[in-house]
Amino acid sequence: MDQIIRINNLTKKYRRYRKKEGLAGSIASLWKREYEEKTAVDHMDLSVAEGELIGLIGPNGAGKTTLVKMLTGIIAPTEGSIEVLGYYPNDLKNEFKKQYAVVMGQKSQLFFELTVNDTLRLFKEIYEIPEEKFQADKNYFAELFGVRELLDVQVRTLSLGERMKMELMVSLIHDPRILFLDEPTIGLDAVAARQIRRFLKEVNEQKGTTIVLTSHYMEDIKALCKRTVVVNHGVKIYDGLTDELFDRYQKNKKLIATFADPVGELTLAVPGAVLLENGPYKKVYEVPKQSARELLAGLMEYEPKDIVVEEEEIGAVVERVYQEGSDGFAQIS
Amino acid sequence: MKSTKYIRVLRELFSLRMHGLMVFRLDFFAPFLVDGSLFVIQLLAFGAVYSHVDRIGSWGKGEMILYIGTFSLLNALSMTICFFGVNSIPYKVRSGELDLYLSKPISPLFRLTFENISPGSLPLVIMSVCIIGYGAATARTALTPKTLGAYVFWVAVMGILYYEMEVLMRSVSLYIVSMARMEQLEEACINLCMKLPGIAFHGIYKVIFYCILPYGIMATLPVQSMIGEMNWRTAACGMGVVILFSGITATVWRRGLRHYNSASS
Repeated sequence: MDQIIRINNLTKKYRRYRKKEGLAGSIASLWKREYEEKTAVDHMDLSVAEGELIGLIGPNGAGKTTLVKMLTGIIAPTEGSIEVLGYYPNDLKNEFKKQYAVVMGQKSQLFFELTVNDTLRLFKEIYEIPEEKFQADKNYFAELFGVRELLDVQVRTLSLGERMKMELMVSLIHDPRILFLDEPTIGLDAVAARQIRRFLKEVNEQKGTTIVLTSHYMEDIKALCKRTVVVNHGVKIYDGLTDELFDRYQKNKKLIATFADPVGELTLAVPGAVLLENGPYKKVYEVPKQSARELLAGLMEYEPKDIVVEEEEIGAVVERVYQEGSDGFAQIS
Repeated sequence: MKSTKYIRVLRELFSLRMHGLMVFRLDFFAPFLVDGSLFVIQLLAFGAVYSHVDRIGSWGKGEMILYIGTFSLLNALSMTICFFGVNSIPYKVRSGELDLYLSKPISPLFRLTFENISPGSLPLVIMSVCIIGYGAATARTALTPKTLGAYVFWVAVMGILYYEMEVLMRSVSLYIVSMARMEQLEEACINLCMKLPGIAFHGIYKVIFYCILPYGIMATLPVQSMIGEMNWRTAACGMGVVILFSGITATVWRRGLRHYNSASS
């Protein structure tokens, strides 16, 4: 398959100002500024094939968003080479911008006081979409997202989940070849997040849209991406199959049990289980994946009101990849 | 093809702006009242200043009224068409909202310029035209198609310069985080040059207000063209300044976009 994203040795450095504490520090900084260099993305190599759905994960400040901003041309790299759809993104050529879309979970492209239809009309003109195609695509996405009746509603009255569906709809209306998604499920409840994931999968499969997804929710990556890139401190520390990443590095699960009546010490002899929180109404355990079933069975004997099983958070996985190394990680080409 | 696209987008931006303004009725009607009141206050201030001044250089009261009307017209046109859009640039840079403009296949400056058209400022345009008419009558200017055409031409050219200065001042935000002083500088220059025509400046002040912060020529040249005071040298100088500032503004804006680091999200 054609590689539509190629980056080589890509680096982005920011300069940030440091000031000593207090008024003296402020006065001193008037005359002599101290700057430090922060490397947000550090000599990264990456290639993505057309039609792929690739996940970029990493903790806050890992460099995921910076990478997306460089791929879309919003910011220029400090060094290295970058080619997306055959263009240098920061040239900001309109022919290039017509072929991708970007959705940023924390920045909306919708007009809050107006309706989604209003935003769609503007985008129709910006992307020069013929009326017939525009109507067909609008209907397709309205059906897919189940939002037909919301197109004429003021955006500010929509729920967060509905708004994200609309963000996706206005981004996809021009049929982009690449869709960059920066934390699309941030702040969404489980149902809305699941719906968004389902839509993305369908768009990828039906339209062949290449999707680059950044998230720090494991569920997004697990449900959508065959391939995952793990980034930490701007460095790519894993690039390979998602299943392999989680099999190998996501070792624990978290079990949270809540009780209607106070309970004392629980006598559970499950190998590797660690009690993280021990309250009279709530017990939180971290347990190796293979022992989770045994711990769950043990907890059920105490008749809990509720039990929640959580995946290990992204930070722990990244830390483990970082500490254990990924044996040169599998390069996908 | 390209210009058709831009016209369609402009029409859509205008339509969206009107929809947006009409959502809240007070927001729609208030500018007509507020801007009109501010304009009247400004005129009263000018009246107070010039009631005791008979001449500035070769200009009498009529020419001064013409001058004030012309500066008000430039200001009103800017307020109606582009000021509120251009004025939002520093905020959009600081908040990182500019990202959404950069990722769309249309000039970000075009979209920023025309997305906050303010119909509420239209009455100011009409009032300014009335003042210009009154000034022309007071100055007993012989209005011929030639003088009128020259005047309209110079208002259009100086309107571009006015816009370029607005963009230039706000493009600084692409390089430095805080730029409140730039806006104060612009405000001070406009306030001064609205009251004093370019012909009142001499020596270093003339260099400053003609070539460095060219607010001094913005209304002066159109008035000179109407009253028959403009010579080829002044015209060439005026065009030179506009061309120079077009180049500077385009360079500063384009380089600024390359310099843009977005905001951390």
